[in-house]
Amino acid sequence: MPFELIALAPLLPLLATALVAAWHIFGAPGGDAAEARTVRLLSYAMLGSLAVLLAMDARALLYGAPGEIVLGTWFAAGGIQIPVSFMIDALSLPFATLIAVIGYIALKFSANYLHRERGFHRFFIINGLFLTGMLMLVLSGNIVLSFVGWEIVGVSSYLLIGYAFERTVATGSAVRAFVTNRIGDAGFILAIALTLHYFDSFAWSGLGAAAISTGTVSVSLVALGFVVAALAKSAQVPFTPWITRALEGPTPSSAIFYGSLMVHAGVYLILRLEPVLVQAPLLLVLIAVAGLVTALYGWFGGLVQSDVKSALLFGTLTQIGIMFVTIGFGAFDVAAWHMCLHATFRAWQFLSAPSYMHAVKGASVEVPPWLGRSQRWYTAILERFWLERFGDALLTLPMQDLGRDMRLFDERIVSRMLGAPGDSEFSPHRQNRLVRGRGVAGALLEWCAANLYRLEQHLLMGTEGGPTRRTLRALSEYLAVLESMLEQPRYLILLILIIFIAGM
Amino acid sequence: MPLISILLLTMPLGVALIWWLPRRVPAAFVAAVTCISAFVVAILILSSFDAEMAGFQLIEEAAWLPGLNINYLVGVDGISVLFLPVTALLSLGAVVMSYRNITRFPRIYYSLLLVECGATLGVFCALDTVMFFLFWEISIIPIYFLVSLWGNGERRRLVAKKYMLIMIAGGLPILFGFLLLAQYVSSLGLSSLASPFDLRVLLATPLPESLQLSVFLLLLVGFGVKAPILPLHTWFPLVAADGPAAITALLAGLKLGVYGLIRFALPLAPDVAVDFQWLLLGLGSVAVVYGSLIALVQGNLRTTLAYLGISHVGLVLLGLATFQTAGVQGAVLELVNFPLVAGGLFLITAALRQRVGTTALLSLGGAAKTLPWLATSFLLLGLASLGIPGTSGFPAEFLILLTTLETHTGSGIAALFGVVVGAACLLSVYRRSFFGPIHNPAFHEVDDLRPRERAIALLFVVIVLVVGIYPAVVLDVISTTAALWSQRMGG
Repeated sequence: MPFELIALAPLLPLLATALVAAWHIFGAPGGDAAEARTVRLLSYAMLGSLAVLLAMDARALLYGAPGEIVLGTWFAAGGIQIPVSFMIDALSLPFATLIAVIGYIALKFSANYLHRERGFHRFFIINGLFLTGMLMLVLSGNIVLSFVGWEIVGVSSYLLIGYAFERTVATGSAVRAFVTNRIGDAGFILAIALTLHYFDSFAWSGLGAAAISTGTVSVSLVALGFVVAALAKSAQVPFTPWITRALEGPTPSSAIFYGSLMVHAGVYLILRLEPVLVQAPLLLVLIAVAGLVTALYGWFGGLVQSDVKSALLFGTLTQIGIMFVTIGFGAFDVAAWHMCLHATFRAWQFLSAPSYMHAVKGASVEVPPWLGRSQRWYTAILERFWLERFGDALLTLPMQDLGRDMRLFDERIVSRMLGAPGDSEFSPHRQNRLVRGRGVAGALLEWCAANLYRLEQHLLMGTEGGPTRRTLRALSEYLAVLESMLEQPRYLILLILIIFIAGM
Repeated sequence: MPLISILLLTMPLGVALIWWLPRRVPAAFVAAVTCISAFVVAILILSSFDAEMAGFQLIEEAAWLPGLNINYLVGVDGISVLFLPVTALLSLGAVVMSYRNITRFPRIYYSLLLVECGATLGVFCALDTVMFFLFWEISIIPIYFLVSLWGNGERRRLVAKKYMLIMIAGGLPILFGFLLLAQYVSSLGLSSLASPFDLRVLLATPLPESLQLSVFLLLLVGFGVKAPILPLHTWFPLVAADGPAAITALLAGLKLGVYGLIRFALPLAPDVAVDFQWLLLGLGSVAVVYGSLIALVQGNLRTTLAYLGISHVGLVLLGLATFQTAGVQGAVLELVNFPLVAGGLFLITAALRQRVGTTALLSLGGAAKTLPWLATSFLLLGLASLGIPGTSGFPAEFLILLTTLETHTGSGIAALFGVVVGAACLLSVYRRSFFGPIHNPAFHEVDDLRPRERAIALLFVVIVLVVGIYPAVVLDVISTTAALWSQRMGG
């Protein structure tokens, strides 16, 4: 099997998703048969990707991994050329295979879990989209395609958190998750632009060599954007709050998104960046600190959770924080192992959580005694260290205030300058004049008109026989005489004759 | 075959048919057929267009006012050719979405709509400045009547009057600029064959710096009014709120002002434009941030979309102001997106308004439950306007952001900020109007998009997705012309 066929891995789930969506759009009958068909289509596609990936694994094991494979150009504009390329190496293959396995299992699990739910097909369409994005993100050979996968993952996560769209909390959490990730995406775009600027290439494989020949400051700048994106996606402090609200989606989606796959995307990105990051030691420190804080945050937060899914989520946060710490100390390989192992067992834990809750019924883990004694600590942990409120106070609210100020500025100043029809237009006592000037231009015009009118009134026309008036009156008398003369036929004929003669 | 003249004739022909056919043939049907045939002709033009060739193609020329050396001169290049099919498509969308809305004087309504679209097509094809100006002014008039007669909201007359006055005021500097150019060129005493109104002649004549300065500033103001560029934008949210819903889609989707900048203002005064790059970048970055921030606090779906549109115009301006080929390609692609994405969003909002009678956010909510088609198409087009990969918004915004960040990092970061705020804004507005429990009892009885509205929404979404997955198909049409354009600007 040639390595070029790796393109099939993300393509198969995408095609299956498109097919299911098309079926749905063109009004295929619903019911159990349709559910079975949707599940079959998507899980076969996932099995297909898995088979492709396993074949690649086998071939890579036997003959060695080929590294970057370029298939063609996606689009080009000016000096920017974006290739369709894949990266097949010891980092991408295992994780991609794991994604295919977990994805397949989660799909199968959801088939029963969501049986006869209202949004059954919607769930599977979004899920297929997510798996496509995830595989693309991991397998892509260049930064831009990885970004595409990154964004698709973000959008599908938004859609699944808001799965129960009638619930206000769920949709609020979805928007929060997406916007937080969008901040990370801005970092990603910045990093792409800086990569283009400094390294002049989008390929992952070329980054290492380029980074060595570039100064530390530029390398750190490039890496900073990526690190921000990774911290946002993996919900590290200070981007954590979105993930603790993200469990609104159905359990299988929580499992693969926040338990095992999506939350590791940030770690994967950082691992990909290894050759760049080793040139930027300051950022490694940043990563380690963020990881450490998150690990502590997750551990403390986990102590007071009474719900199994939340407890698992805080556990995930801790583990991912530890991965970041490991990376910060330069042990990239260890972090990669940790990532794959953690993804596996966390997926299993999340998927079995609902059954576990059924079996155990009630009684959650008790809060440790030292925590129970200190009310201050207990409140702080229960409130998740007010991280979300800090975020709101620092970002969301000022943004809205700024928006309000801008609107006031727009209404009070810009609109008035240009002369918008305001409410005063309707009040009758201001309608005493036929036309009112509005805005700077209008006021200027009105002022000119008023002055001209005065000029005309007082200087030209005069009230009782000004100079102009007198001249005009005299002129009109002469004209009246002239006209009466013209009314007589002989003068008229004379005039016509004169005109003819002058014309010749 | 004179394809462009045929295209320009379709709309007047449609108007004639509306009045000539017996009354029982619905005007909407005639208008829709007209738009479809215009779309077919536009596709024919696109298919006979040679993307490898720089400069104007498919030129048709005829003496019009020989005494004044004014000619009938039309043609397309890589920048304008793509606007023809999307304009026809958006017109079709506007006709379809008006079908249920318009009960009073449908013949007059659809005639005005077709005149508007025909004038817009003319603006995109005209290569003679006088002809361009004529089409430009014609495109203003129908909107006045459409807004003042079929608008909703008490202020519609005032809004229409304001629109008219501002547009006429914006037309004057354009006319003045064109006359200055013509006067200079004819004073050079070129051969009598070269018309001083011919854009090709104007582009080939190097202008002195002082003349460039006056032309640039005049045209920037004139086109900026229509674009709309800050701070000349205040008419747009007003019209968006009070105009007839389908017509606002035309105004939001057809960015004639920005097209005027690309076609005339910048290439005719390249040296001054490069000197004033700071102004263009500044206007662009301020618009991106300002528009998305104001959109955040609007109480109405339509004004929110209008301000987001202003923010996107800022993005286009940034792409142009880089003077890089990639940036210009991104900007033109974003402009081609406007009719499909912004126009499409306004069309769907029109459908929503027709069903529940309002677009105030407070009385919406829960629409996704009873109107799944409407909600889904709004979401997909909304994602396209956020530039999510897989939609046509991605290559456009990505190229603009990338080139801006690379050449002018400060403006680029401002744009990134605006893009994040825009995403927050659009999604929270979407949440408030389509998600959540249903408050407004009107939502319980509404029916979803009807088959022909579905077809339009699907068509828009499919085009957006196809271009998003394979953007080369559009970017390649633009690339040669964009390279020539940026070369002219010294980029």
